[in-house]
Amino acid sequence: MLPLLIGLVFAAVMQLVVKPNIGDYPAKLVLDIGIAISLAVSLTMVNGFTGQFSMGHAGFLAVGGYAAGIVTYYGSQRIWGDRATHGGILSGRPLAIDPATLPLVGHGDWLFLAALVVGGLVAALLGFLVGLPSLRLKGDYLAIVTLGFGEIVRVMIQQTNATLKPQDIAWEEVYPALPRPAGVEAVASYAFDVIDPATKLGRTVYQAVSDTPAWDVLTHVGGSLGFTGIPKYTSLFWVYIVASITIFAAFRLKQSTFGRAFLSIREDEVAAEAMGVNTTRYKVWAFVISAFFAGVAGGLFAHTLGVGLSAETAGFLKSFDIIIMVVLGGLGSISGAVIAAVVVTVLPEALRDIPQYRLIIYALALILIMIFRPKGLLGTHEIWDRAVWKRVRRRGGSEPGKAKGGSSP
Amino acid sequence: MTSSGRRSDVLRVQSISKSFGGLKAVQDFSLTLCEGDLKGLIGPNGAGKTTVFNLLTGVYKPDSGAISLSDAEVAGLRPNQICRQGMARTFQNIRLFGELPVLDNVRLGTHVRAHQTLLGAAMRSPFSVGEERAMTARARDLLAFFGLEGRAEEQARNLPYGDQRKLEIARALATSPKVLLLDEPAAGMNSGEKVALRDLIRRVQTTFGVTILLIEHDMGLVMDICQRITVIDYGVTIAEGPPEAIQNDPKVIEAYLGAPDEPSVEQGVARA
Repeated sequence: MLPLLIGLVFAAVMQLVVKPNIGDYPAKLVLDIGIAISLAVSLTMVNGFTGQFSMGHAGFLAVGGYAAGIVTYYGSQRIWGDRATHGGILSGRPLAIDPATLPLVGHGDWLFLAALVVGGLVAALLGFLVGLPSLRLKGDYLAIVTLGFGEIVRVMIQQTNATLKPQDIAWEEVYPALPRPAGVEAVASYAFDVIDPATKLGRTVYQAVSDTPAWDVLTHVGGSLGFTGIPKYTSLFWVYIVASITIFAAFRLKQSTFGRAFLSIREDEVAAEAMGVNTTRYKVWAFVISAFFAGVAGGLFAHTLGVGLSAETAGFLKSFDIIIMVVLGGLGSISGAVIAAVVVTVLPEALRDIPQYRLIIYALALILIMIFRPKGLLGTHEIWDRAVWKRVRRRGGSEPGKAKGGSSP
Repeated sequence: MTSSGRRSDVLRVQSISKSFGGLKAVQDFSLTLCEGDLKGLIGPNGAGKTTVFNLLTGVYKPDSGAISLSDAEVAGLRPNQICRQGMARTFQNIRLFGELPVLDNVRLGTHVRAHQTLLGAAMRSPFSVGEERAMTARARDLLAFFGLEGRAEEQARNLPYGDQRKLEIARALATSPKVLLLDEPAAGMNSGEKVALRDLIRRVQTTFGVTILLIEHDMGLVMDICQRITVIDYGVTIAEGPPEAIQNDPKVIEAYLGAPDEPSVEQGVARA
């Protein structure tokens, strides 16, 4: 558990020491990098480990984001009656509010944590469903199915009714028959556009959020206008603790006997099966685990300040971004995915000063990297497998086989 | 082994058949392997030898017939289930996990006997760590047996051809099989390597106590190490018996060399 402790300390340092000293814009960039790392490393488990080419990763991201968003948005509404953040110092609540009484971790943070887990689990369930076709489909065909999955998620989100977003409506409009209690002006309500069967005219009716059944909540996520108003809990602390856990899980998986089974499927499915690997089960597992972490990253994404969670989150452009990171880093290389996540996130930002050439240079850089390193930055290896580090370690007198196990997080 | 010296059957194949469309790849193929047998399966190109392997290991499902491995019916099971039951194979055209280290190729073979859970592996539970250590130790022992211990950290695809063949056998043995199917292990080897391979197969059999079914084109090797040989041609078994009998079987000679009336034919087979 030591590596997790290191991740915890690292995440806290990022939030409490690094963030106040680098300014808002760089801090946002560092936050984006952290989420990108989680996404890239989670996709590595499918595309890199088992070699199944999934192109719908943003679908899991979006589903996780929406599921987590629903938990905090409506949870916050029910618990505190508002949608403000009720977090502590670690979730970035400004110290200016109440510096003396503010705890490190607030009540809202626990809600947020639960939301992240829910987002991950919902995404994992979908991962299971998407993983099933991967049993029969290979290569391009699987890619198309997963691409289709992302698009289905995108369209379904778009089809949720935008007018059903809760608004603060005057008491009289919502409850015309009931007397208004003292001090209550407005009620958070959904607006329904309905057609009156008698007059054939359209009119708007209101339903208080507190009267809305729980299952109905799922459809109230803003439709094509996007899911706005989610409390902004995401901080460098949460992003980097999730990134640490994702990397940790990926390494543990890769170095275990299960990881070797995953990799054997990528290398030669027929041989893997002949050697007793239940390829069916492991391919689905890979999708489930990968989708879980993508869903958690989606939860972080949804609660980020300045992010509009919308149907486009599930779009294939976002999926391509993540695939670029995985391929650029080298299929199967976790450290490669991390490095590529940093490069792909920073590069467009670094080119912001020359906006007219930005996309050209970005594309050119990607092409050049793939020409000179066709297997990605690190190939299928980890960074410490590279000759330079091996030589350094040999000089240190440690046996290479031992060192490989020892360098695990 | 029974007291009378008769050994128990490990693999019993009863008249399996397989057709691909109109092509009868294997017809009524039967075979029995007793514990400790080293049997050869030979036949001209396209005779259906590899199809027999694919049927035995579950790559194809037999259209009819039964396959029992240690008295358990395995026909119709998936390859990974059959491997778990105790049958492992090598491939004619080597199928290693090329990008993975040599050690991991062998360790993968031990996976089928693993008892740890995914969560246990992620949490590095004591059981999982212990099992992992045992797997590594076993893999290293196997590599040492095949003289590959010095190459454990290399990528499998970088091994020389002969070593790749050995690694495939090591990987198959790592699954702790009762029956080992070797598909043309000597293909592409020179005569010196073939001699070494012959000794190696014998050592494998005595050391690991596995029962071996061997497909091989090299007659010298087959006649030398196999106790009994089955010959198939066009999917049909045409002869079965000890090497001397096979060498002189007119049907076999015909299958391999055609016209039985040419005087040099019998000599040719005998020399080969």
